[in-house]
Amino acid sequence: MKKVLEGSQAVAEAVRLAKVQVISAYPITPQTHIVEILSDYVTTGKMAAKYLRVESEHSCMAALIGAQSAGTRTFTATCSQGLALMHELLHWASGARLPIVMAEVNRALAPGWNIWNDQTDSLAQRDTGWIQMYCEDGQEVLDTTIQAYRLAERVNLPAMVVLDAFYLSHTYEPVDVPDQSEVDRFLPPYEPAFILDTKHPYSLSPLVTPTAYMEMRYEIAAAMDDALEQFDRVEEEFAKIFDRRYGAVEAVNCDDADIIFVTSGTVTSTGRLLLEELRPRGEKVGVLKIKLFRPFPVAAIRQALGKAKKVVVIDRNFSFGASGIFAQEVRAALCNLPGHPPVFGYIAGLGGRDITVKLLEEIYFDVKGSAAPRKESIWVGLQEVNRAT
Amino acid sequence: METETGLKKYLFMPRTSVTTESNKTGSWRFLRPRYEEKTSPCSTACPVGEDVARIEMLITQGAFKEAWETILRENPLPGVCGRVCYHPCEGSCNRREFDTPISVHTMERFLADTAARNETKPAMKRLSPKGKTVAIIGSGPAGLAAAWFLNMLGYATEIFESMPAAGGMLRWGIPAYRLPAAVLSNEIARIESEGARIRVGEAVSASRFEELKASYDAVFLGCGYWRGTALDIPGEAGGGVEDGLSFLRQLRQGAKPDVTGVSAVIGGGNTAIDVARSIIRLGGRAVIVYRRRREDMPAFDEEIESALEEGVELRELLSPVRIAAEGPNCILTLQQMKVEGRDRDGRGRIVADGTSHTEISVQRVFTATGAAAAEAWHEPPPAKEEGQHHPTALSLSNCTLREGQHGKPIIYGGDLTNTVKNVTQAIASGKQAAMALDTYFQSGAGAVPERLAACLVGEGPSLSMEMYMNGPRRERKSHIVSYREINTDYFQFEPRVIQPRLLIEERTSSFDEIELKISANTAMREAGRCFNCGLCNDCDNCYLFCPDVCILRGRDMTERHINYDYCKGCGLCVAECPRNAMTLGEEEES
Repeated sequence: MKKVLEGSQAVAEAVRLAKVQVISAYPITPQTHIVEILSDYVTTGKMAAKYLRVESEHSCMAALIGAQSAGTRTFTATCSQGLALMHELLHWASGARLPIVMAEVNRALAPGWNIWNDQTDSLAQRDTGWIQMYCEDGQEVLDTTIQAYRLAERVNLPAMVVLDAFYLSHTYEPVDVPDQSEVDRFLPPYEPAFILDTKHPYSLSPLVTPTAYMEMRYEIAAAMDDALEQFDRVEEEFAKIFDRRYGAVEAVNCDDADIIFVTSGTVTSTGRLLLEELRPRGEKVGVLKIKLFRPFPVAAIRQALGKAKKVVVIDRNFSFGASGIFAQEVRAALCNLPGHPPVFGYIAGLGGRDITVKLLEEIYFDVKGSAAPRKESIWVGLQEVNRAT
Repeated sequence: METETGLKKYLFMPRTSVTTESNKTGSWRFLRPRYEEKTSPCSTACPVGEDVARIEMLITQGAFKEAWETILRENPLPGVCGRVCYHPCEGSCNRREFDTPISVHTMERFLADTAARNETKPAMKRLSPKGKTVAIIGSGPAGLAAAWFLNMLGYATEIFESMPAAGGMLRWGIPAYRLPAAVLSNEIARIESEGARIRVGEAVSASRFEELKASYDAVFLGCGYWRGTALDIPGEAGGGVEDGLSFLRQLRQGAKPDVTGVSAVIGGGNTAIDVARSIIRLGGRAVIVYRRRREDMPAFDEEIESALEEGVELRELLSPVRIAAEGPNCILTLQQMKVEGRDRDGRGRIVADGTSHTEISVQRVFTATGAAAAEAWHEPPPAKEEGQHHPTALSLSNCTLREGQHGKPIIYGGDLTNTVKNVTQAIASGKQAAMALDTYFQSGAGAVPERLAACLVGEGPSLSMEMYMNGPRRERKSHIVSYREINTDYFQFEPRVIQPRLLIEERTSSFDEIELKISANTAMREAGRCFNCGLCNDCDNCYLFCPDVCILRGRDMTERHINYDYCKGCGLCVAECPRNAMTLGEEEES
């Protein structure tokens, strides 16, 4: 049924439909709406789940590791400082092969204290062994959250559904909320690959010596590779029932494009408007939306970008001392491709600053007029700063 | 491994069925938690050292008899004290910093009333008979307490009471609307059934006192202050002037004196208030004349408040100069006073304000400015008089011990020796006397101070008979639990019980008791508000929070121990103990 929902509500509806059994979270703006709705669902009996109140995000993830080890389907939501506080246990969740699902609302890290949109928080967790999926709108967020359980439970890795602060978390859009019976057809009850059982006690994750640790890590790497293949399979199963699919990447007008914008999250929608603006004027421009960031869909990216003359990456994040993180990943994906196009890295919209169609258009003509990137990263829309002397 | 969906399962997971018990994590510990019960602030504020925190805990559990017996171990008169004690326990209650203090006095009265209604017999621990008999002069709260505790310690007691019924000031000095006679008689009957023999109508003269000293193993003097202090002003011996204490006694003896018109009551203590409120009940008007201000009055504030509610008029900063008869009336001449600087005790210094006098015309004047011993020999003799040798003389906080000519101890107690003179302090005096006499007989006078010091509740000065008799209370640390040591996360705001009272109209037209009974449910709810500072109530937070499963419980789920083989000393149990019944200390070097 179509409903007008906030992005946060779309997440909560998906969690309800996924019949999650244990929820634990610590409130943090702009994630709070998600867990508010869920705590209400649990209290009023709309969900047969246990909601664990905890004193920090660190404890929250620890609680979910315990709950998932005991064989239950779990969920949490967080952002920014909260995700940073979870960091240690993010490694644990993937190392212990627990398919925990998290909604991660992209929010800037402090200082300066800032509650608005920025991707650096989730991208800084790229090496923790979590699947990461960046969503563009409310419908995608609902669908992806349901799919995340199927995918995570298939490969025994945790998954993060990432959505932009406010631009998505607090924006109302029409969203098709599927029936429970349809979701049940797509997502069967959780069947844990292993379970902590007091009747047959053993302990998990004890000391592992150098003779076995590397193999454990290799298995995680293999599972992550497998997740790339399973992602498509899950999308296919989902499309059969719901007739919607998104792709690990989505190439929009890339076939004949000379310049392709690489985007993620809600900026993709702005990119789509850019195409509507420039294509009628004869500009050969395309947009490549990257949804799946971990595992990184290298082959699909090479295929989409290989024939372009220039690639522009819009990064709403920054790795200090290097460059925008999506730009790094795209460069790494292309570098072994003979004759690959140059990659222009642009940094925009940090800390919630708006990225407009006009801004993207300026970037387009800047790139069109440059034979090669002037710098690894070009920061756009910067104001004059009065530096303290 | 290929599955039918083409899914590859890469699950190389470390796990072990070997017990982790071989890893004795206790060796990591540098802080050591331990169960350690401590002292609640209410119990040290209580002059008789009642184990209030434990009493409230027992009420919460519905163990009313045990709670009542816990009081009786320290105080034989809970029915009396639940009504007339000024409850300093409530003033020191840690809960007052959270919302409002526990209504401890209401709980005490509830337990006493419940026991009386059910005719409950207490099961008191008693020591074997010592073969000694102590004579007690006066059956007021001090004498009754001395008898009660001496009986517990194995002594026979005989109380000599000059009046036709026992109770002293409780029976003859406190009006019935504060303390009904039946409540007092019930408590005295229990004290008698536990061994005290009361000989009413037997006044003790100076010569009889000498006989008692010779024929009993010890004598306790607790005959109180019965002589009203004179005002020392002209006209006070004339008609229309009466002693307040005598007036109260007449009322309790059944008299209904005519108090029509206006009566002036001179004084600011509880007797002045009692006289004024009694006059109102007899249909008269009462004006209290006090030379200081309301905040300086020694009367309990709640009593002053009730008196004003009932229509008593209070005139402050007026000192009587003379009383003159004028026909059926008295003309009371008063000097206006004012506050100037401070006295050494911190109260405002009161001095005459010029020379202006005011006069009020009243029908009669009651004096209630204090009391003194009725006879000179009631006062303890100085430790050393000229030509007389007292080999043993002990001045304790609430009583004074002298060795008589026969080498037998004489103890002066109650109002005769107490600095603060009220019912609860009198009971404290009787208890201290019983401990001092027992120690005297067991180990000599020299052992008394040290023996008593070992029975202090917290840092004192209250004494615990349970501790004296080596009860479990002796294990408690003297540390007094403060509010910040309570984990208030485990408590919710809850209003204090409001004890139902008679309407003002009902109060001013009879001597019926003002405060009414409360139900067992109400009592349990009120007692449930208590933090039980420093005591374990088996809440099991330690057990629930221990991350190393180190809290071992006994079969009845009450006895708890810490398994130090695995306790890492994280201190969670101590932090999550709501009532500071655990302590985290440094691990001692071994």
